[in-house]
Amino acid sequence: MALGDFFDWLLCAIKLKKKVTLGIYGEVNVGKTTLANKISMDWAGEKMGKTSRIPHETRTVQKKERVTIPLKGGRKLVLNLLDMPGLATKVDYRAFTKYGIRAKEAKKRAKEATAGVIEAIRWLDNVDTVLAVMDATKDPLTQVNLTLMGNLEAKGIPVIIVANKIDRKSANPKRIKDAFPDYPIVPISALKGKNIDHLYEAIGKYAK
Amino acid sequence: MPSRKTRVLDLSRTKPGSRKDKLKIQFLSSDVLNRKSEDARVRFVLDIVKDGTILVTDGVMAPDEELGLIRETMRRVDDGFPGIEVCSLKKDLPGVQHFFEQVSDQRNKVENLLNKLAGKKPPKIGLKFGMTLIGPSKYIKRIRKDPNSFSVFAGA
Repeated sequence: MALGDFFDWLLCAIKLKKKVTLGIYGEVNVGKTTLANKISMDWAGEKMGKTSRIPHETRTVQKKERVTIPLKGGRKLVLNLLDMPGLATKVDYRAFTKYGIRAKEAKKRAKEATAGVIEAIRWLDNVDTVLAVMDATKDPLTQVNLTLMGNLEAKGIPVIIVANKIDRKSANPKRIKDAFPDYPIVPISALKGKNIDHLYEAIGKYAK
Repeated sequence: MPSRKTRVLDLSRTKPGSRKDKLKIQFLSSDVLNRKSEDARVRFVLDIVKDGTILVTDGVMAPDEELGLIRETMRRVDDGFPGIEVCSLKKDLPGVQHFFEQVSDQRNKVENLLNKLAGKKPPKIGLKFGMTLIGPSKYIKRIRKDPNSFSVFAGA
């Protein structure tokens, strides 16, 4: 055991530090990587991944270890932050060609995207807490969201719903609250950093 | 008038015998699916859907089976089959039935674990009460869901 790991273990043992593997899950293009970048920039000083308007930009699990968030009362929360590929029931390479990507490259991207979805599903057995990111400008009652929330509940994994993109005029986080009334929900804008402190408080409160 | 991009299928204009613009919807009894193990059920459903059929059944998959369906779908995605659209309505059971369903879920989980440890085949776990529609995403353009209903917009 390295010296740093030993001190982490010691601080966890005396409850001054909590170590959590936090998975950022959600559909495609809801702002998962933007949120991961925001958290990582705030507490580790560097970004985690590239964002794009083209769907399935994140096609492998992005990891950032030992992201430390200070909590109330002098405690610390150490996160192993995992930015997951977007969950989807379909991946059509033709959708990528609309963004100017050539067919051959689009097919390769689609193949990587399907592998990414499978990898994200596999990681559900290895996360302690999940941030379920939903786009506040869109209908939250999608099968992907329902399947994700159903599985988190069945596995007993603590979840915080992040209603993202509230900086946009069409955002309506109340729709998400109405659709999932039994879960903690934090409306934020990961891009603008709006309400991000509320999210850190929620992570400190609910992460196990 | 619907735009060309989101053209809704007009079955009245379909020429008899032509495959073009035909959409097959299969209503399948959950009894057929309940006779199969979860893995076999997912494969069976995807075989039908990949063939271009929209499947409707009187049951709902458990959350982990739904994830299994997504995982298997991703394995089968190719140039001609971009994936599926799926929507389900779970029936809210009255108090006592809901309790027994939860007890049954827990028993199934324990049985599943014991069978895995013993290297046996997983037991057949039936669908839950409700309704599910699964179809190829190249035909299902959009699904609008409310807590108690859903609307499907399909087209060729």
